[in-house]
Amino acid sequence: MTEAAEGLVKRATGISGLDQMTQGGLPAAGGTLILGRPASGKTVLALQILALAIARGEGAVFVSFEESRRQVLRDAASFSWWHHLHDEQRFELIDARPTPGARVSGEFDLDGLLAAVGFCVERTGAHWLVFDGIDQLLRRQQDALMASDQIHGLSNWCEERDLTLILTGKLSEHSLAPTHLEGIEFLLPSVFIISTTLVSNQLSRRFRIAKYRGSAHITDEVAMLIDNDGMHFPYAIRPTAAAGPAPNERISTGIRRLDEVLEGGFYRGSTSLISGQPGTAKTTLSGSVAAAAAARGERTLFISFDEQQAPVVRNLASVGIALGEPIAAGLIQFHAREAWDGLVEAHYHALQQLIHSFEPDCLIIDPISALLKADGADSAQIAIERVLSTTRARGITTLLTSLGTQTDPTSEATLSHASTLADTWLVLGYNVRGGERNRSLSVVKSRGSAHSNQVRELILTRQGIDLAEVYEYGTEVLMGTARMQKENEEAINRRLKRLEDDQHQRALEQRIEQAVAEAERLRLELQALEEERSAREHSAQRHEREVINRRQPLASKSEHE
Amino acid sequence: MNANPVSTAESTHNLTLFVAGDAPRSQRARANLAAALARLGLDPATTREIDLTADPAQTLAFGIFATPALLRIRTAGEPEVLYGDLSEGPALERFLVLHEPRLDA
Repeated sequence: MTEAAEGLVKRATGISGLDQMTQGGLPAAGGTLILGRPASGKTVLALQILALAIARGEGAVFVSFEESRRQVLRDAASFSWWHHLHDEQRFELIDARPTPGARVSGEFDLDGLLAAVGFCVERTGAHWLVFDGIDQLLRRQQDALMASDQIHGLSNWCEERDLTLILTGKLSEHSLAPTHLEGIEFLLPSVFIISTTLVSNQLSRRFRIAKYRGSAHITDEVAMLIDNDGMHFPYAIRPTAAAGPAPNERISTGIRRLDEVLEGGFYRGSTSLISGQPGTAKTTLSGSVAAAAAARGERTLFISFDEQQAPVVRNLASVGIALGEPIAAGLIQFHAREAWDGLVEAHYHALQQLIHSFEPDCLIIDPISALLKADGADSAQIAIERVLSTTRARGITTLLTSLGTQTDPTSEATLSHASTLADTWLVLGYNVRGGERNRSLSVVKSRGSAHSNQVRELILTRQGIDLAEVYEYGTEVLMGTARMQKENEEAINRRLKRLEDDQHQRALEQRIEQAVAEAERLRLELQALEEERSAREHSAQRHEREVINRRQPLASKSEHE
Repeated sequence: MNANPVSTAESTHNLTLFVAGDAPRSQRARANLAAALARLGLDPATTREIDLTADPAQTLAFGIFATPALLRIRTAGEPEVLYGDLSEGPALERFLVLHEPRLDA
C-alpha cells in the first residue's frame, strides 16, 4: 500500500498505466465505481485487478450479479492471468445473480449479502472486493434513493474493514450517470469512466478518471487496450526523460560516403528520418543501418509496416546487404505489422512492448507514416512523439522512414511530425533526365553536423550502396548515364590535355637540348676564334719584333761608318 | 380470508424467510408475513426462518443475496423468490396464494 502526501492510503492495482494515472492505485479503504457501456471492459478490468492481487499473495472476493461463476471464469480464461482466479485459498467468486422471475414486495437491503461476503473475506484474507453489475439487483428497488443508500452502506462497510471496493455499473446511452444507480457517483471517492466508440469499424476504448476525491490524478482521457494480458493504458505511462549529456559517438550507416557526408554517421541515441517516394530505397538504407549495427554486435528492432521479413531479406541481399544471419543470430528482430490491423494506440502499445522486451540498441520503423493510415490516426503524432521519447530515454538510435509523394516527397514526414522531431533528415528522390530515373539523396538537416546540402546520387549495386561524387553541370547535379557520359568526356579531355602537355614538354625539352648543343657549338667556335685571334696576335708581335731586330743592326752600322 | 391451516405434511420447508438479524426491514418482513399468512388462513408453521447474519454460509447455499427475502421451492424443485420487507400486501398474497396449495383448494 502506498500513502499519498495528503494522507489517502492507496492500494496498487498492479496495472502500471492505471497506477500511474491514479498515482498509486485505488483507495485502500473505500469504493471505486467503474462505469461503462456493455462490452467496454469493466468486468475484465476488475478481474485483472483481482488476479494480479492474488498473484501478489493478496486475497480477493468477486461478487457477480450478471454472470454465473462458470461464465466469469470462462471469460477470464482467455487472459494470461486467468489461473490466479482458480486459487481457492485466496479467491472466492460468488454467483449473486437474482433468482430468475424474482419479484419484489417492499424494501430490501444487502445485509445478508454482506454477511456472506464478510464470511468469504475472512476466509480468503481478502483486501479486494468487486461487486460486478450490482445494478441487476438494485434496479429492483422501487425507490431509486434506496439503491444509493445501499451503496453508501456498502462503501462504509468496506471502509471499516480496510477493503478496496470496486463496483461496476452501466453507463446510460446519453449521459455519464449510471443506470439504476442514480447518484451513487457522488457517494464514492473515485469514479472511472470507460467509453467506447467505433473508429472505422474498430472498437476504440477510452478511459478517464472522472473523480478521485482527496488525491491528485491524471485527468486526461487515455486509450485503453485489451489483449491477452488484459487491460493496458499505453498513453498513461509517460517515458522518463533522458538524463545526462548527449553522446558524441558516431555510428556508421553502413555506407562509407554517407558516413562522410554526416561527418562520421548518425549520433548514437539520435533520431533520423529518411523520407521519399516509394521505391527510392528507404528500406534499403534502413537495411544497411541494421546490418551495420549487427556488424558492431548491436541489436536492432526492425518494424516493417510494408513488407514481410522474407521479401525484405531477399531484396536487400540483392544489393549486398545480408540480414539473414544477424536475424538468425538474434541481433536483428524483424516484426511485420499491418497498419490497418489495429488502432494507432494498439500499434504504439505493441512497439513499447517490443522495445521493453528486446531492449534494442537500434530501432527502425519502416515506414512510420503507416501510422497515419491506421484507424484512429488523430493520435498518430502523439504515438510517434511518445515512441521517440522512449527511445531517447533509453539511448536507442532510431531510424524512421516516411513516405512522400511525387509533388511533395516530404509530405507525410511533415504530417507525422517526424521531420520536426528527427535530428537528421535525409530525403530520397528521383532525378529524371535524359529518359532515365536515378535515385538521389540529400541531407535536409543533421543537428550537430556541418553537413553538405548537396544532392547526391544514390547508387545501388550488387556490391552494396554508394553515393556518387557530386557532379555539377551549371546549376544541376548530373546523375546516372548523364553523369557517366559527362565523367567520360571529362576523362577523355583530361587524357588529351595530358598528351598535349606531354608533347609540349617533349618539344620544349628537345628545344632545350638543341639550344644546349648550339651553345656548345658556339662555345667551341668562340674558343677557336679566340685561339685564332691569339695566334694571330702572337704572330704579329713576333713579326714586329723580327722587323725591329732586322732594322737595329743596320742603324748601328751607319753610325760607326 | 381463509383461516384453515395449511397441512404441515405438504408444506414443510416450503417457505423460507431469509432475514438479517433484527434489521428493521427483516423485522417488518416477519410481521408482514405473519399477518398475511393469518389473513389467508395459512399455517405459519410451514415457514422457516434463516438468519443470514448468524449463518452466512446459507446465503451461498441458497443463493439469496438480498434481505429480507421469501423463498419458495416449487414441487418441481424450482425456486421462487419475493424480495423485500413484504410490505406490499397484494404482492405478498399473490405470491402465497397463487402457488400455495391450500387445504380447502
